[in-house]
Amino acid sequence: MRLDGVGRRYGLRGPWVVRGVDLDLPERTLVRIEGANGSGKSTLLRLCAGIDRPTTGRIRGRPRTAYVPERFPPALPFTALGYLTHLGRVHGLRGPAADRAAGVWLERFGAAGHAGTPLSELSKGTSQKVAVAQALLAAPELLVLDEAWTGLDAAARAELDRAVAERVADGGTVLFVDHDPRRLAGAADACHRVVDGRLCPAPPPDPAAHTPAAGPRVTVRAAPPGSGAELPEELPGRPVTEREPDGTARLTVPAAYSDALLRALLTARPPWHIHTVTAPVAQRPPDGPAGGDAMPGTGEPDDGAMARGAGPATADHSAPAGPASPAATGPAPAGPASPAVTDPALAEGDHR
Amino acid sequence: MIALLRYQAALLLGSHRWLPPILLYAGFLVVGIGTGSPVLDAFAFAAAALLPLTVWLTRVCVTNEPPAARSCAAAAVGPVRAHLAAVLTAALAALPPALAGTAFVALFSDRRSNDHQVTVALLPATACGLAAAVVCLLLGTAVGAVCNRPVLHGTALPVCAGLLGCVLLVVPALSPASAVVRGLVAGSMSGTAEMPWLPLAAAIPISAAVVAAVCHLAARRG
Repeated sequence: MRLDGVGRRYGLRGPWVVRGVDLDLPERTLVRIEGANGSGKSTLLRLCAGIDRPTTGRIRGRPRTAYVPERFPPALPFTALGYLTHLGRVHGLRGPAADRAAGVWLERFGAAGHAGTPLSELSKGTSQKVAVAQALLAAPELLVLDEAWTGLDAAARAELDRAVAERVADGGTVLFVDHDPRRLAGAADACHRVVDGRLCPAPPPDPAAHTPAAGPRVTVRAAPPGSGAELPEELPGRPVTEREPDGTARLTVPAAYSDALLRALLTARPPWHIHTVTAPVAQRPPDGPAGGDAMPGTGEPDDGAMARGAGPATADHSAPAGPASPAATGPAPAGPASPAVTDPALAEGDHR
Repeated sequence: MIALLRYQAALLLGSHRWLPPILLYAGFLVVGIGTGSPVLDAFAFAAAALLPLTVWLTRVCVTNEPPAARSCAAAAVGPVRAHLAAVLTAALAALPPALAGTAFVALFSDRRSNDHQVTVALLPATACGLAAAVVCLLLGTAVGAVCNRPVLHGTALPVCAGLLGCVLLVVPALSPASAVVRGLVAGSMSGTAEMPWLPLAAAIPISAAVVAAVCHLAARRG
């Protein structure tokens, strides 16, 4: 999809909310939009989602689109499952498929227990899960997320990260706004900033840099099917790849893409063999203790959980201390690790 | 479109907001016609009573969804079709009461002219009554669409505009709704039922054009 000189104002003489926007949204991209409150982000997202028509300019090549609003007020006379089934049909699924997809997505976001609850009785977080599920039901080609993570619990936020990565890996386009700068950090292919209704490019963090901005990353060690076979084309998450002398590949991707990458490797023809999956600490400098890479993820449950937990939990206070004392990172995570392992969102890295 | 109509219909039924306009229509029929009034007069009254019903039902249907839910549906199918589905649902929802009203008149009214001198054949009279109901249903839906989101926002202005729209549809001789109602009343005087072909032929393109314009505005104004 392409936006050419798109502008939008409300009313005949209202001020321009968005103006002169040229934006290319190719397939297989994850695009982040940032900007201050009231800068026109939401209006731009509504234009991209096709909810509003541009006042000037044009949008070409619209694919099948889904949209998640920031707040989803549940004043509808449906149960969660009933609403999702209706929306699944509206998105073009057949009846039984819509019903099945609704159940699957409620399950994925941990809201299967609320399937029969009327929308008006759902908590804010659960109704946001319904809003996210309606958008993902029919595997849209363009997914527009307006602070969709707001109100979700940690497990659902992580699930949404993975669902977004899945959409991109399947050839879709995802456009998102989130107030948390670490959201899908390092996974975005393009980043744009809205300033006073105009769009200017904001450089995405270098995916190869192990900085906090690059976000938590997962390394997969995989052996080729034959000796020295080439990696499949267009792997999800554009992994940073290193080949070991015996042909084994070490692929590092943003954590959200780990499932999609494994799926791509395992379903490649011929399939690759996965040796290990590890979640290195995002804050560690590249030459720091790389113990995480060598350890098999399955053998060290606490390591994986600690590594994920250290990302958001210690980002604020470890950033200044990190470069000064890299050795101190070894014992330090023992503290945050113990509460972190109880968090269901952080334990999923170890089940692989 | 079928999925959208099902969604909107379920929304309308579940919200129970269809109940007041339907009760109003039923009240109109019972109080205004009763049993034993001249059949063509009764058809004219029943058709005119459909105007407030359809205007109200259209308002219910186009304002039923909270903005966030409307955005979700509009992203999937586009705002034009989303709005069209709401308006069509209102028109379809007005159809059963319109048919029931026609049946009520056909069954319980006096099959004679105003002065009880000329007998009116029931079948042609019912056909005229149905045609008049369709004209009023279409025009009422169009007025309801014009008097609400996306043209007029809020509560007070759309409601007042809707009432005014009903009056404007019935009073001047130019409106097709007025033409069918007057035609039936005049037929009741002479005891002849004449099919209102001209108003019917006018009402269909007028209401279609109005609804199409309103739906396209929905994409511009939200």
